[in-house]
Amino acid sequence: MNVLIVEDERQLSHEIEIFLTKQGYNCDVAFTGKSASEKIYVNSYDFILMDVGLPDHNGFQLLKETKEMGKDAAIILITARGSVDDKITGLDLGADDYLPKPFSLLELQARMQAILRRKHGLKNNVIQIHSFAMDIQNRTVSHDSNLIPLTKKEFDILHYMALHKNRVITRVQLTEHIWGDILEEDYESNYIDVHIKNLRKKLSQFGNSDFIETVRGIGYRLNMH
Amino acid sequence: MKLQIKLVLYNAFSKTLIMSALAFIIPMLIQKIVYNHLDKRLHAREEKMMRMIRIGGLKEIAIDQDCSFDSYNIFKEEFVSISPIAALPDDFGKTSITNSERIVDNELLKHRVLSQSFIYDNQLYKIEIGEGLSSADALENSIRNFTLKLMLAVVLFSIFFDLGFAQILLKPFNKIVTEKLRNVKHPSSFNLTPVRTHTFEFRQLDQSVNEMMSQIKEAFQLEREFITNVSHELLTPISILQNRVENMINDPEVPEDVVNKLAESQKTLARLSRVIKALLYISRIENEQYIKNETAELSVLIQDVLEELDVLIQDKGITLQAAELEAYTFSPCNRSLIHTMIFNLVSNAIKYNKPNGKIMVHGSSQHGNYFLRIEDRGIGIPEDQLPFIFDRFKRLRPEDDMGFGLGLPIVQSIAGFHQISIEVTSEAGNGTSFLLCFPGQLSS
Repeated sequence: MNVLIVEDERQLSHEIEIFLTKQGYNCDVAFTGKSASEKIYVNSYDFILMDVGLPDHNGFQLLKETKEMGKDAAIILITARGSVDDKITGLDLGADDYLPKPFSLLELQARMQAILRRKHGLKNNVIQIHSFAMDIQNRTVSHDSNLIPLTKKEFDILHYMALHKNRVITRVQLTEHIWGDILEEDYESNYIDVHIKNLRKKLSQFGNSDFIETVRGIGYRLNMH
Repeated sequence: MKLQIKLVLYNAFSKTLIMSALAFIIPMLIQKIVYNHLDKRLHAREEKMMRMIRIGGLKEIAIDQDCSFDSYNIFKEEFVSISPIAALPDDFGKTSITNSERIVDNELLKHRVLSQSFIYDNQLYKIEIGEGLSSADALENSIRNFTLKLMLAVVLFSIFFDLGFAQILLKPFNKIVTEKLRNVKHPSSFNLTPVRTHTFEFRQLDQSVNEMMSQIKEAFQLEREFITNVSHELLTPISILQNRVENMINDPEVPEDVVNKLAESQKTLARLSRVIKALLYISRIENEQYIKNETAELSVLIQDVLEELDVLIQDKGITLQAAELEAYTFSPCNRSLIHTMIFNLVSNAIKYNKPNGKIMVHGSSQHGNYFLRIEDRGIGIPEDQLPFIFDRFKRLRPEDDMGFGLGLPIVQSIAGFHQISIEVTSEAGNGTSFLLCFPGQLSS
């Protein structure tokens, strides 16, 4: 998978590059709109992460150019401007997703996976998590054809953890994914812990749920081999 | 009272005043002129009579025994009378002119009478020359009537005329008030086109209003840019830090105790970014950057929020009573903002509740408005702190360090944006109740 990171903030593009490289992506970096435009023209990318606020180029302009070049790369807009209209404008211009800064790298990866699934119409929509089967299309989890009644949030948490299996997910990362834009100011709350507690309870009625590991003081990890 | 009506009434009043003064003065003037005229004629006649007496003698005229003489013309409009008198009058030698009424042939007659005494043949005589006043009176009356009617007509006409004129005159003023001041709520809808008027004062007013409005508009624009810049300048470094921390947490070479510290730092960073986001969120709402063109079924929206927070409600052992939720369509609105508002209120009710406490949610429509009451049997808010709960960064409970104090300010700005009124009642130790009134006829 080839990814182009268009971001003038070098430290940020560096961190994204480190992360995506570790996940097995081939990363290319452009710090200006001009070089991005050239790279997009010459190369073929699967993903373009595009900062809207480039110093020499309006991100929307770059988005338009890319679309005009007939490139079918998935485009995720990244912006710190956070204006309400930006999101609408970006999606109207054909961006596949929109991430406001600051975002979690795990969230970025989850969005990229979701786009892939959508774009390529992946047939295999069932993930096997130990003895549980997760149907992403129908948003259900079952055990030996027994449907487990999970709430929307519980499903989202399990899905997110499965997506980032064998990796510590901090409470902050989980909260950000689950609650998204809702401005619940009480960050110290135990929302996530309560959800995980309920999730474990529901899963353990059917099978072993020990694969959800609590990493003390940090968060959770879904272990899978 | 409307300025137009005031102007007209003032005009009518002053005109009536002037007219009634004129109605009083004009007949008086006319009377004076008529009398002057009559008096001149009487004097001329008296002179003529005296000349006749001097030349022809009294006997020529006064044919009576005692040398008295009375002569009326047919309509008794004029008369001359000469009669001897016994005593010398006080005003001898002086000519006096008076109005007198006398009955002649059973008819009351008003005359202007000149009387004078003279000595003829060692005998005192009094001569009286009269001129009828009836025609003068009639003239005076008809002139008075005419002027009164004319003036009444003039006043009435001028009221209508003034009404129209004031309307035309005040048109630019009304335009400034309605188009620029009253019907405008947000700087983005300011109308800066100059109002066409030849009135100096209105032009000045319009200019001043326009200048003021452009200043406000500019300030709003600056705030908008400021929000964008602040977002960018603050959120970008946070973004770098957050992603770096994430990468470090997953680096197997980083020792466990450092990972723990990094996770703590991540929490702090998240807190910082939430505060900034919350402040920007409030600014954006108050800057009217959100579009308000959606419809929300309030009972469904409330149910969604309750479901979302159900785990926490259950975890805390709180009893939720939300049986009475009447359906109501609220529009135009921004659904996501309304959701956040209700979410924050319910979330507060959970947060400040007691173990095994109670939350009551009740929604019903009345007179086209929708009333939503979110009530808890929690720890409540002390009375002295109640006025400050919507203030930003006011920490209500310093001892337990809960929240950043931005949940309720967000609620308030969303409510303000949708013209929803909020009423809070609370009793320390006994719970808090938020009563929201969603207006039925919301102007967009």
